[in-house]
Amino acid sequence: MQNMTVISQTSPYIRKDTSTKRMMFDVLIALTPVVFFSIYRFGIDALSRILISLIIFVGVEALYFLSVTRVDGYNFSDKIKNKFKKYSINNFSAPAVSAVIYAMILPDQLHLYVVVMGALFGAALGKMIFGGLGFNIFNPAALGRVFIALAFTSFFSGSYGFIDAAAGATALSTGFPNVLNSYSLIDLLVGNIPGSLGEINSLAILFGLVYLLIRKSIDYRPVLSGLLIFTALATVAGFVLHPTLVFEYVIFQVLSGGLLFGLTFMITDPATSPVTRPGRWWFGLIIGALIFFIRIFGSLPEGVAFALLFGNLLVPLLDYPMWATNLFTKKFYFGYSAVFILLTVLTFVILGGYAI
Amino acid sequence: MITKTRFIPDGKDVLKKLPLIHHLEAPYLYYPMTSQRCPEGETCVVFGQFVKVGEVIGTRKGAFFEQPIHATVSGEVVGHEMKYDASGKRVNCMIVKNDFKYELHESIQSRSDEDIEKLTKQDYVDIAREAGLVGLGGSGFPTYIKLNTKNKIDIILANGVECEPKLISDYEVMMEHPEELIHGLIYAMKAVGAPKGIIAVKKKYVELVERLRFSLNSYTNYDIKVVPVGNHYPQGWELEAIESATGLKVPQFKLPADYGIIPFNVSTLQSLYHAVKFSLPVLERYFVISGDGVVNKSFKARIGTSIQRLIEIGGGYVDKSVPKTLIMGGPMMGSNVDNDDIVTTHTATSLIVQNSLFLNEDPCIHCASCVYSCPVDIQPVQIMNAVKANDKDFLKALSVNKCIECGLCAFVCPSKIHLTDYMREGKRILRG
Repeated sequence: MQNMTVISQTSPYIRKDTSTKRMMFDVLIALTPVVFFSIYRFGIDALSRILISLIIFVGVEALYFLSVTRVDGYNFSDKIKNKFKKYSINNFSAPAVSAVIYAMILPDQLHLYVVVMGALFGAALGKMIFGGLGFNIFNPAALGRVFIALAFTSFFSGSYGFIDAAAGATALSTGFPNVLNSYSLIDLLVGNIPGSLGEINSLAILFGLVYLLIRKSIDYRPVLSGLLIFTALATVAGFVLHPTLVFEYVIFQVLSGGLLFGLTFMITDPATSPVTRPGRWWFGLIIGALIFFIRIFGSLPEGVAFALLFGNLLVPLLDYPMWATNLFTKKFYFGYSAVFILLTVLTFVILGGYAI
Repeated sequence: MITKTRFIPDGKDVLKKLPLIHHLEAPYLYYPMTSQRCPEGETCVVFGQFVKVGEVIGTRKGAFFEQPIHATVSGEVVGHEMKYDASGKRVNCMIVKNDFKYELHESIQSRSDEDIEKLTKQDYVDIAREAGLVGLGGSGFPTYIKLNTKNKIDIILANGVECEPKLISDYEVMMEHPEELIHGLIYAMKAVGAPKGIIAVKKKYVELVERLRFSLNSYTNYDIKVVPVGNHYPQGWELEAIESATGLKVPQFKLPADYGIIPFNVSTLQSLYHAVKFSLPVLERYFVISGDGVVNKSFKARIGTSIQRLIEIGGGYVDKSVPKTLIMGGPMMGSNVDNDDIVTTHTATSLIVQNSLFLNEDPCIHCASCVYSCPVDIQPVQIMNAVKANDKDFLKALSVNKCIECGLCAFVCPSKIHLTDYMREGKRILRG
């Protein structure tokens, strides 16, 4: 007992060998195939946009951290030094994840000024104003993307079409059966289509998804739920709109646009997800259905970011302690399947299926 | 990660291989006059008096029960001193100087099998009370109150799951003395008139299941079964062990006895056997010293042995310059002690000395690992937020009182947030 320091702690005294850091770097690792493909495909256009986003997101976080963190110190330079001691790896990795995701959902020809504005908005108002990591209610990347889509609309027109102007903004903005003349389904899979930096190569995204699922750094529930409702709705729409090409239609809808990217990297952001299992099923359902509705009924060709922000908005509702529970109750099974069926039937009816 | 965590590296295999040291050379034995359940105590011996093994030297008094204190060695009562008990509290202890003769007290008489046949429920209850039997799994709840139930009992469950890492005492009991455990189980069944007995052990202990089943071959006229249950944590928690072993779902805050089942720790049943057969109180327990801050040793020691001495015999601390944390019990739910001046009591089976973990808490990222892992299906992260906001209504809605403080939420947190402390704080806020 002599010459030994004993430190009081409370149970439990052991911890699992995991960390927030690991989760962040897993996402970065999962993003690498997508990033490499975008650089391969778009070259310096992609690289510059990724680097700019990285610098801004990490810079805003650092600036915020240095200005709001309170430390002791006897003079200014000493305080700054102490602040840097508190600066952890999470203050780099978390904004880096947001930055790469943000860059990946930008079109390749987008003006750099717009890229900067969106990144600033996403980093500062999307995240830091709420208090940084874990306190943000909206996905910073999606918020930045939506901000520039609304505030700098004129910069977007035509910037997608780099090879085939007739193809429009993305493969999605072309009418369905005609698009198959320009791009085969294999093209959709390997990314041989116009579109945002990281959203075009479905194969690379799927690699990332599998990696994240194996490492359990993301929850499969919102992904599966979103994919299920989206596929169901797409199948219904395929039956109504293109009865001869149902399979092609569904595959086309799933692989094109930002759906897979959004489901893999954005909907799974834990900070803006509900915290219960049923809540996460609902979360996926809401977002998957909204993505499809914006595509089919909306005026935009694509709406993953919008759908995601709307889903984020509903998280406090899904998490409200008075009814949120981690148990799968009968109420949940009944409610979930009822809403699921209702949405499919509604889509069927609105698309004109009643005439058949 | 974002998933349900149920398995904890338990480090038991290494401890089981340690040679067992039967420690009978303790010069002084210490008997706490009070315990967590019994805030008052009195002695019935004077200094200088000679006591024998099994002699009553005092009584601890709780709210509605009394517990006799027994000497576990023979020798002279020499005084009293303040020591720490297993819960980390400083208590007054009677000291008995060991004369190493281990003479038995006159009251220690063996009962023949015919006598045991004739015992009634009340006799069993009296025996358990006089022997001062308590729940040896860690609760310290008096056994006679459990036996004295008015409900109709169908099943007695011998809980040998011991799901906490680093604890091997129950395993050793079952491995070394399976017949004593089975006898104890039979006595408990007779006492409450239960037709069925179940021994629950971990699935992965194949050798243990085999050993128990083999021993059960000589007791075919009793309906006793060995049920292998899950290996996960907290499988040993009373209600979860009952559910896995019998399929019976006992809701929280209800007594299992109301549902026709009484769970006992296997060590408690062994002590019941000793009490019924030989009128002996609990004399010895397995005690293991583990952790990375000390030489690991496995002991069998008399109740009242000074743990400081056991550490010395074992080889002492390693890396003295590194700050240490002392834990009585398991690493998930054990209690913290500030000092190694501890004595073994009925419920002490393990001391862990570990080099202190210094953890930087990161902000919560709402990954919900804690929610997924919680065995009672509450939402630790939401409770943390409610505690921070001091919101009583939400704490009630989130039913923080269901928390069994198993420690899984803090264990799994990737941000290393001490959620279990927030649960305790939440309960404190609700109490007002």
